[in-house]
Amino acid sequence: MKKLNILFAALLGLGLNYSYAQTPKGSVLIKNATVLTVTKGNLQNADVLVQDGIIKQVGQNLTAPSGVQTIDATGKYVMPGIIDAHSHVALDVINEASAPITSEVRMKDVVNPFEIGIYRALAGGVTISHAMHGSANVIGGQNATLKHRWGAKDPAEIIMQDAPRTIKFALGENPTRVHGRGNGIQPRTRMGVEAVLRNGFNEALQYKKAWETYNTAKTQKGNTVTPPVYSERLQTLADILDGKIIVHCHSYRADEIYMLINVAKDFGIKKLVFQHTNEGFKVAPEIAEYTMGASVFADWWAYKMEVYYSTAYNAAILQRNGAITSINSDSAELIRHLYHEAAKTQRYGGLTDDEALAMITLNPAKQLGIDDKVGSIEVGKQADLVIFEGHPLSSYAVPQMTFVDGVKYFDIKTDKDDQRQYVSASEMVEPIFLHGEENHQCLQDVDAYFEAFQGAFFEHKH
Amino acid sequence: MKKQFLKAGMLGLLIAGFLSHTAWAQSDPTGKRRVTSTYAITNATIFAAPGQQGTKGTVLFRDGVILGMGSNLSLPKDAQVIPGDSLFIYPGFIDGAGNMGITKPKDLERPKDLITSNPPDEIAGITPWRSATEQFSITGNQVDDWRKTGFTVTQVLPDGGMLPGKSSIMVLGNSGSVNVLQENAALAANFRGSRGMYPATLAGVMAKFRDVYQNTTLALDHSKMYASTAGVKRPELTPTQMGMASVVQKQIPVIFTASSDLEVRRAIALQKELGFKLILTGLENYESVIDLIKTSGTPVLIKLQVPDDKAIKSQKSEGITEDTKAQYERVKEAYDKALKQASLLEKAGIPFGFSTVDTKPGDAMKAVQTLIKNGLSEKAALAALTTNPASILGINRVAGTIEKGKMANFVISTDSIFKEDAQIKHVVADGYVFNYELKKKAAKEAEKTENGSAAVSVEGIWEYTSETPAGSSGGEISIKKEGTGYSGTISYDDPSGSGKVTAPIKNAVVSGKTLTFEFDVAAGGMNLTVSISGEISGSSMEGTMSVAQFGSFPLTAKLSSPSLTL
Repeated sequence: MKKLNILFAALLGLGLNYSYAQTPKGSVLIKNATVLTVTKGNLQNADVLVQDGIIKQVGQNLTAPSGVQTIDATGKYVMPGIIDAHSHVALDVINEASAPITSEVRMKDVVNPFEIGIYRALAGGVTISHAMHGSANVIGGQNATLKHRWGAKDPAEIIMQDAPRTIKFALGENPTRVHGRGNGIQPRTRMGVEAVLRNGFNEALQYKKAWETYNTAKTQKGNTVTPPVYSERLQTLADILDGKIIVHCHSYRADEIYMLINVAKDFGIKKLVFQHTNEGFKVAPEIAEYTMGASVFADWWAYKMEVYYSTAYNAAILQRNGAITSINSDSAELIRHLYHEAAKTQRYGGLTDDEALAMITLNPAKQLGIDDKVGSIEVGKQADLVIFEGHPLSSYAVPQMTFVDGVKYFDIKTDKDDQRQYVSASEMVEPIFLHGEENHQCLQDVDAYFEAFQGAFFEHKH
Repeated sequence: MKKQFLKAGMLGLLIAGFLSHTAWAQSDPTGKRRVTSTYAITNATIFAAPGQQGTKGTVLFRDGVILGMGSNLSLPKDAQVIPGDSLFIYPGFIDGAGNMGITKPKDLERPKDLITSNPPDEIAGITPWRSATEQFSITGNQVDDWRKTGFTVTQVLPDGGMLPGKSSIMVLGNSGSVNVLQENAALAANFRGSRGMYPATLAGVMAKFRDVYQNTTLALDHSKMYASTAGVKRPELTPTQMGMASVVQKQIPVIFTASSDLEVRRAIALQKELGFKLILTGLENYESVIDLIKTSGTPVLIKLQVPDDKAIKSQKSEGITEDTKAQYERVKEAYDKALKQASLLEKAGIPFGFSTVDTKPGDAMKAVQTLIKNGLSEKAALAALTTNPASILGINRVAGTIEKGKMANFVISTDSIFKEDAQIKHVVADGYVFNYELKKKAAKEAEKTENGSAAVSVEGIWEYTSETPAGSSGGEISIKKEGTGYSGTISYDDPSGSGKVTAPIKNAVVSGKTLTFEFDVAAGGMNLTVSISGEISGSSMEGTMSVAQFGSFPLTAKLSSPSLTL
């Protein structure tokens, strides 16, 4: 009997493997580097051996098995691939802004593997990004965790298939503006946001019960209980209640952060991460106690009313209060130098090297539920690695090579000017001008305008 | 007694009516009734099916059915003889998916209390119960122009939102006949979001598709229960669910418009998840999914066009940087690759057909010739125009080849159909013969220049949609000539809530085929100028809508009414 079970499990495992797109896995030996493991200290003159996409050995004087390429990294630094817990790179759609709850929407449906932002992120050492739904809705769509396998044509190949499900929530000005002010429906205020959440979860409980009743009744003879209406929206909320999905919530103010903690407590939701969290420093102990922490900007604020009360010490305060803290980009530009962003926690808050590096590696991995697979240089983990010239927390750091699953996707030495995967046959080639202004500054004055067109011209991402 | 008398009287009237009707028909005041429905095209070169050699002979058909073909047929007395000496006969072309002769039903007026987060299906573009038959008209230039190109059968898709309705297979025969070969042939679907309401984007559309599909499945389960068990509450199938039922029961396929490789993958992903039958149409950029198309066994209809060469032609050779040169090369490479795609489908052994949606009849055969120059075999090209779409549409028993017993649908040309100089002299559809005047070459040139210089007509009401990163938006543009310039208005989604606002247009200029104009939007205390520029071809316009600092977004418009008197 036991044997049969094992056989069955093996078959299932096999089936599962086949249902995934087979992603490339590489083997490589990186020699003589300063290895920043994040979890196990720094190793001088150390080697990292990768076989079939997995870190096999970390130590000194390792030899490459036959056929495995050796890279001499003398004088260079090796760190785990950077993980961005908040990104919108490689998505064809960001906001399905038409309803306060759109939990049925899946970002995995709209992944675009050709987007150049992926390559630019690789050039900044980022190997994994959390491609999120936008913040127009109280409960937005389900997000996709992406592995930056540049060159893949099938979206399934850049989706990290073994990452758990996550979903976007949003509090405060964005959902109240889009739905309340823009559309005249709930939520018009922060109180409305809470009401939408509580109503949603209560409906999900009823939905779950209705299906349980039906599923029990349907096998019985003479059953007259008819199937309830199917709703992926409510099913997804029920899955959140069942702990199957990690909530990532766009938030700024301390009151609304604390509100969501209370809602989560009332409904028994344990997997909760706050995003942006500019006033997180005010409720750091509460965040530390009850949630999977906060993913914040290093020093970006004042782009709208609710983001004025901010400090660059936010990350350090959260960290020292015991909250899992990560630094994210939420921007196709910032994603290229998250190591600089992490370094700012040393200038503002004096975090240690390991603490600062964990902000862009292990901690975001924890928040995405993938820290058993990535986020540090440890034997058995997936070989997402970056080789740096200069210490990654130095102002002079320049990423040299970026590996995902042991496959090199970026090499500064073979970096072509035009890295696009897809070029349109009817594209007019026009001169490119670099804008003097930052995108987010542009957005400030046009809030009303894009709101008017219901996001038709612009998508607010932050 | 009285009653009986009355009945007799009625009968008499009926008979009288019937007789007089017959008498009318005999005199045929229209003068259009044909003398015979039996024809013989004699001594022509017949290409009966793709890949077959041409054979000299006669084709005989009556009442729309091929009676026979060969070199020693005895012709019946009533057969009208069409001398086919020096002419080439091919099976009539079949359009796998088209929108010729389709008029979009008027958009329903938005109710004042519309809840945009949960709008009624009909307003949100979910109308699977609609039929293309109701939107189709065989009279009018569109069908004439396509017939003139050689098309004798089309599967017309209804116009509308994400699930606009069901397609119909039409034979392009006589306007007085019922020309429906098959109604409700497939359910049309696309990734188009609904304007200003749920589902507004591709992501919403995919979620809504699943929702509609799953709930139809459940509603049908419920109906089954109701039929077999007492005490079950009454099923309430919505019009949407009734419209979807034949898809869920796998009686008819979904014909999904998917132009890019990513859209192809998305449609196939939905198909794998839900299990419906699938046909893909409107493919433009598909090189990277040829293997997937092959392994999934999905029938495909590619767009009957080649990419616009404007970008290639506008490339300069002097005064450009090395960077620009490199970018030019990549566009050229993409262009060359795009032209080779059809031949790669052939190499992979995928029997594809064509779709005429968004393509111009005048460019159709030129496009086929270009594909042949880029590696597609003539045999595969003819199959894509005839036998392949016949199989994909499930009408290969009656159409696609010239065989005894099949429909009399032919293209009759002066030369091999794929030669540049070939001209179509007759098209036979459903046994009706359409004759076309052959152009002399010189005359053709003259006409060309005339067309080139003629000003396009922009007057009328245009319905436009612009695609933006967050979904589509749109409204109406109405334009009138005034003196030497133009004036008019444009409507757009109200910046301060729902509904539409109208603004006057300014600086409207028509130069060549391009219309440009501007309008002002007041929003949040700011005045923004939006400029629109579009190239007009016939009754459609393609271009961009741009706002200073914000970038530009593609815009398409259709002339919904050429007259302004409403």
